[in-house]
Amino acid sequence: MKLRSKQMSELKKEERTCYLMIMLPLIGFFVFSIYPIFWTFRWAFYSYNGIPSETLFIGLDNFKKMFTTDLDYWKAWGNTLYYAVLKVPFEMCLSLFIAVLLQQNIKLKGLFRATYYLPCVISIAIVGLMFTNMFSINGFINSILLKLNIIDKNLDWFGNRHTATFMLAAGGIWSGFGINVLYFLSALSNISPELYEAADVDGAKAWTKFIKITLPLIAPVAVTIVLLALIAALGSNEYVISFTNGAPGGQTRTVMSYLTTKFVPGFTTNSEPPIGYGCSLSLVTTMLFASLSIVYNKVNNKVNSIF
Amino acid sequence: MKAIKIKRFFIYVILFLILFVTLVPLLYTFCASFKSNMEMLTNPASMIPENPTLDNYIKVWQSEDFNFFRMYINSIMYTLVSVFTAVFISSMAGYAFAVGRFRFKKLIFTAFSSLLFIKLGSVSIYATFDVLNLLHIKRSLYSLMLIHLFSVPVVNIYLVRSFVFSLPGGIIEAAKIDGCTFFTTFLRVILPLLKPVLATIAILSFKNSWNDYLMPTIFTLTRPEQRTVIVGLLALKNSDGAATNWNLMLAGSVVSMLPVIIAYICANKYFVNGIAAGAVKG
Repeated sequence: MKLRSKQMSELKKEERTCYLMIMLPLIGFFVFSIYPIFWTFRWAFYSYNGIPSETLFIGLDNFKKMFTTDLDYWKAWGNTLYYAVLKVPFEMCLSLFIAVLLQQNIKLKGLFRATYYLPCVISIAIVGLMFTNMFSINGFINSILLKLNIIDKNLDWFGNRHTATFMLAAGGIWSGFGINVLYFLSALSNISPELYEAADVDGAKAWTKFIKITLPLIAPVAVTIVLLALIAALGSNEYVISFTNGAPGGQTRTVMSYLTTKFVPGFTTNSEPPIGYGCSLSLVTTMLFASLSIVYNKVNNKVNSIF
Repeated sequence: MKAIKIKRFFIYVILFLILFVTLVPLLYTFCASFKSNMEMLTNPASMIPENPTLDNYIKVWQSEDFNFFRMYINSIMYTLVSVFTAVFISSMAGYAFAVGRFRFKKLIFTAFSSLLFIKLGSVSIYATFDVLNLLHIKRSLYSLMLIHLFSVPVVNIYLVRSFVFSLPGGIIEAAKIDGCTFFTTFLRVILPLLKPVLATIAILSFKNSWNDYLMPTIFTLTRPEQRTVIVGLLALKNSDGAATNWNLMLAGSVVSMLPVIIAYICANKYFVNGIAAGAVKG
């Protein structure tokens, strides 16, 4: 009986210690994660710009507005998708291609891998700054292209939606392909070499081996890698702000950067941004991203059941 | 045999080509940072500066209104505090979630994990402002550090937790028999074993906080003297004088990249260990 109560008090002590150990994140979870969710949910139904006397409950008006009169938000989604379409497929193919090459018993493998990953450690804001300089009208890229006779006069990369998005994609791929090479390399390392040896005995060509062995075996992991890259591209924020900042005329502004430049102090030019409206846009954005995760889970299950 | 040799040759050519393209933006920025503003405009294509000069670096460090030295100190302070916070919080929480017995453990852990799927965007920063106002805390780099102290480092908690799971179970039992309590087991037995995983966490949060742009900008808005290096450089880019200040910005970029690149070269192993963590993060 005495032993039992001793055990009980020990357990109680352990529980108390545990709660003390997770105290900071637990408080932070409620204060800085849960509270903002409810906060956003609440103000989405108000006309609110931070001034208490001008606050007004307006029901669903914010949501009506975004679907009828103010279509900038959806245009930003259009820009985001355009950017993702230019960036993700090429980035994925390039990274997989490099990973397959590195898999071929290459000397200096470590050097290649380490260098390809190097841009990933550099601040994305600095990447934007560096690329702004390189693509500027009298900049490095233009002068190289002139020397190679690809263009005959300096191109204004920032002046046209397509060149601007292309440039964004180029910088994005530069700063992010290395991590995908590492992901694909770890996926490839799980394939047993005997499969390739067996295929060699049968006289299979490199391309056939890639299609019949490599691709099906990495498919489940590849789905995850592609989705991570897609979410990262769709969610890009600081990068766009520090690079094109929407040039020309907001046509390269992605959704997250649109929200930031429209509502967040330090980035918006509006001294009293319509915060209530921003909250309703944030809610819709969250839901769209969440549904992407749901679609991903469905696809993932399917891929896993096929292979 | 010859066919294989040719194939190998082409593989190396491709890999070196990509290696070169990867390095060009960095090499260009590095070389251009030794050019005068004039040369940068008239002769952008040449990698090697005609009249290499250290003026840009001297100007960056001495400029009164730019105050790079102060920004560097701010960055160092901000990064050190963030690293220490990340290691401190995730080691304790990871251990508690791995072996601790307490009510609602599963529920809390699931709730923490679900944060990975919520992307509210930056508008929710106003809710954080509300909390700070309520506590009469002014917005500054220091209050941002305070917020970091209350952050939920989900990925880092995962890392520590799975590392503790992978330790032989006998260790904790043995510590208990030796008279250790739950907390002293952590302090004397587990913490020393966590070194490799804590190194990974430290290096990743070093990279993230040094490179941080959005939050430090918001929190130092009314206090330019508290800007970090990245914030200051981007503020210069967005200012009216941007076009005439490229020499300062490029030299500043080089100096701002140095710490992470040096850390990367020295601790490559720990960066790569963090890749798996990145995969969970999504």
